[in-house]
Amino acid sequence: MNHLLLGSAGGKHLLLGNEAVVRGALEAGVNFVSCYPGTPSSEVPDGFRSLAASGRFVFEYSVNEKVALECAAGAALSGALCLVTMKHVGVNVAADPLLTMTYTGLPGGLVLLSADDPGCHSSQNEQDNRLYARFAGMPCFEPASAQECKDMTRAALLLARESGQPVMLRTTTRVNHLRGPVLFGPLPDPAPIVPFARDPGRFVPVPAVARIRHRAAAANLERVRDTAEASPFNRVTGEGDIGVVASGISRAYLHDALLAVDPERKPRVFELGMSLPLPVKALEDFMRRVKVLLVLEEGEPLVERALQALAHTLSLPVEIRGKQGPLEIFGEYSVPQVRSALLSLLGLDEKAAAPAAPAPAALPGRPPNLCPGCAHRSAFYAARKVFGDEVVYSSDIGCYTLGLLPPLRTADFLFCMGSSISAGSGFARFGKPVVAFIGDSTFFHSGLTGLVNAVFNKHTVLVVILDNGTTAMTGHQPNPGMDQDVLGANCTHLDIESVVRGCGVTRVARAGGYNQKRLLALMREMKDETGVRVIIVEEPCVLYARRVLKKRRGQKAYAARRDAAAAECLETLACPAFYRTGETCGVNPDLCTGCMVCVQASPSFKARKEGEQ
Amino acid sequence: MNLTLRIYLTGVGGQGTLTATTLLARAAVAYGLEVVSGEIHGMAQRGGIVESTVLLGGFRSPTIRPGEADLVLGFEALESMRAVPYLAPGGAAVCATDFIPPPGVSMGRERLPDIEDVRETVERVAGSSLFLSIDALGRRAGVVRSGNTALLGAACAAGFLPFGPEILGEVIRRHLPPKDAEINLRALELGREAAGPCRERQEQA
Repeated sequence: MNHLLLGSAGGKHLLLGNEAVVRGALEAGVNFVSCYPGTPSSEVPDGFRSLAASGRFVFEYSVNEKVALECAAGAALSGALCLVTMKHVGVNVAADPLLTMTYTGLPGGLVLLSADDPGCHSSQNEQDNRLYARFAGMPCFEPASAQECKDMTRAALLLARESGQPVMLRTTTRVNHLRGPVLFGPLPDPAPIVPFARDPGRFVPVPAVARIRHRAAAANLERVRDTAEASPFNRVTGEGDIGVVASGISRAYLHDALLAVDPERKPRVFELGMSLPLPVKALEDFMRRVKVLLVLEEGEPLVERALQALAHTLSLPVEIRGKQGPLEIFGEYSVPQVRSALLSLLGLDEKAAAPAAPAPAALPGRPPNLCPGCAHRSAFYAARKVFGDEVVYSSDIGCYTLGLLPPLRTADFLFCMGSSISAGSGFARFGKPVVAFIGDSTFFHSGLTGLVNAVFNKHTVLVVILDNGTTAMTGHQPNPGMDQDVLGANCTHLDIESVVRGCGVTRVARAGGYNQKRLLALMREMKDETGVRVIIVEEPCVLYARRVLKKRRGQKAYAARRDAAAAECLETLACPAFYRTGETCGVNPDLCTGCMVCVQASPSFKARKEGEQ
Repeated sequence: MNLTLRIYLTGVGGQGTLTATTLLARAAVAYGLEVVSGEIHGMAQRGGIVESTVLLGGFRSPTIRPGEADLVLGFEALESMRAVPYLAPGGAAVCATDFIPPPGVSMGRERLPDIEDVRETVERVAGSSLFLSIDALGRRAGVVRSGNTALLGAACAAGFLPFGPEILGEVIRRHLPPKDAEINLRALELGREAAGPCRERQEQA
């Protein structure tokens, strides 16, 4: 198989951080990879998917992060070297098995990639998962460049195999999505499988076992401290009595901020690439050499507090600075922020840069939007028509969260993956009736349990499953609802209606996503019913239909009557292919995908063959 | 090498600006420069703003903050105007004159600036700038999206990048399938030609 990521040792390639993670895992001889996709982690499993034919490893898109981690933990018990990838909030889903598998240990070796998102570029929170490494008691690596993404993934996997302890590889959005040169190392055969030896006294954590394993886990982590003390990822450079300890992407910001500092005035720097267990001996030595020290870490002040505690225990007279001034726990750091903190540490004046130009006043915004031809828009349009503000809309995680935007306004609350049905059930007990929207991938992820609960506890909720046949938001990854033809021989398609009926729902109906008449009729029928009702809205994601299924509709909509009714459709359906012209509305044929929802919504629109005038 | 250059690229989701970013970063590597590049994915793909960066000459951070970009490459006119605060005073800009109207504009609630407003706002900060219709150039090359490559070609030809269009041509030939390469090489050439007259106008002014 010919693939960039299978290139030979000594080659240097420009890689995305996430692509470099894939190469690093191959260089360690990874045997099994599981994941649930989520920005900013998604290109890691996508890379493995593109390499599946190499036969070097077993790979799967699991249905959620807990399942992904459990599946990999099982494989690691069975002796395989495993990598599990997810975004930061996915680790919350996987936390239950995680916090016990560090007790049992995993002889084959397991690395958990946690892709954090400080600044919430594409997430509902900016939690700092280095806390999970501490909580679970796992060694933790924090790369800051594409090269380190490769090198640390390899090192983390090798450490996991050698120590038998699960290891965290913690990245942040900037690292996942930066691109830089990567020098390839040798590509070995896949790692040998470590034969499983039955040991219920270790692997079945009943209380008597768990109490013992807690001590074993702590001792194992302590043994790894020697690795951290000697790790090439923990480096000291420079001299003098002013110090900086930096971790993660802050190391890159520090490097660039130092470009502006006279070499004579540069501080002593401790780069903490392997950040847990802390290399306390090396840090003690560092702190004995400096009078004042600045800690650079995005998110929570974890290293800062650990160093303060260490300095206190050792009675070191070092002043430790961290979260103050421009360096906050919120969002991301930047080179100018780090430069400013650094210059103040060094007692240097900041040369005032020429001020940036002001932002031009009142430019039109460009919020992300549902695509032209997206069937979610069609379902939301029908829902708003039938329910208006008489119901409350419980949303979930996926493209359809964008239903919150006017004029559709079909998202009133949201917590996390799969919460729409369960949170909607609870809400409806005390408030207005609830319509819950959930996508196919999210339904399989964790909507299922909420649905079972709603049936079991006789909740009243109308669930609309927006089945676009793929995991659209993150780039069209497979899920169990996908067509068998697309899934191929290694996966089995699950029929959503059968699953819903199997959960005990008796009121179930299907509708084509573009079929307004059917959508409206079903919603009107079910509006005043009680209990759990499910409408499955089926239409492939329009981008997926075009790119993967190679479907084209061959028709375009046009405004046959340029009247007020057309303008009203512009105001209520708000398809991105519409444009206002004078007092009415036109359809941009370059953007129209031929879904014909507007034709059903208003007599002013008609269909014609593509290319006809 | 002492040369450093921070390039800020901006456009609209679906336009192909990330592909252009990678092309530019690969060209810089082929020319022997140290490169780090950055991009933000996620919600932005759904028709939102897509911003990316290419930093040459030994930077490690993939980010560019306001006032730091030596060169702004704007693949859409409104987004070029929005990106002006990123441009270092006296820096260079190459901007598409083509607009992709955002939803508020299509709905008739907001108004696009005039292209002359865009030009004026850019020129107030930039030391030198180029404007060209990448849609027109892309269409002439064979595919509208190849207009992105024309814009890169113009930036090279105008001397805003440390290397000439031939390096980009090399990377296009090496990394794109033959049919796409042919179209993009044509677009590159059209971009190079377009830079000539634009530049003269600049000098006359």
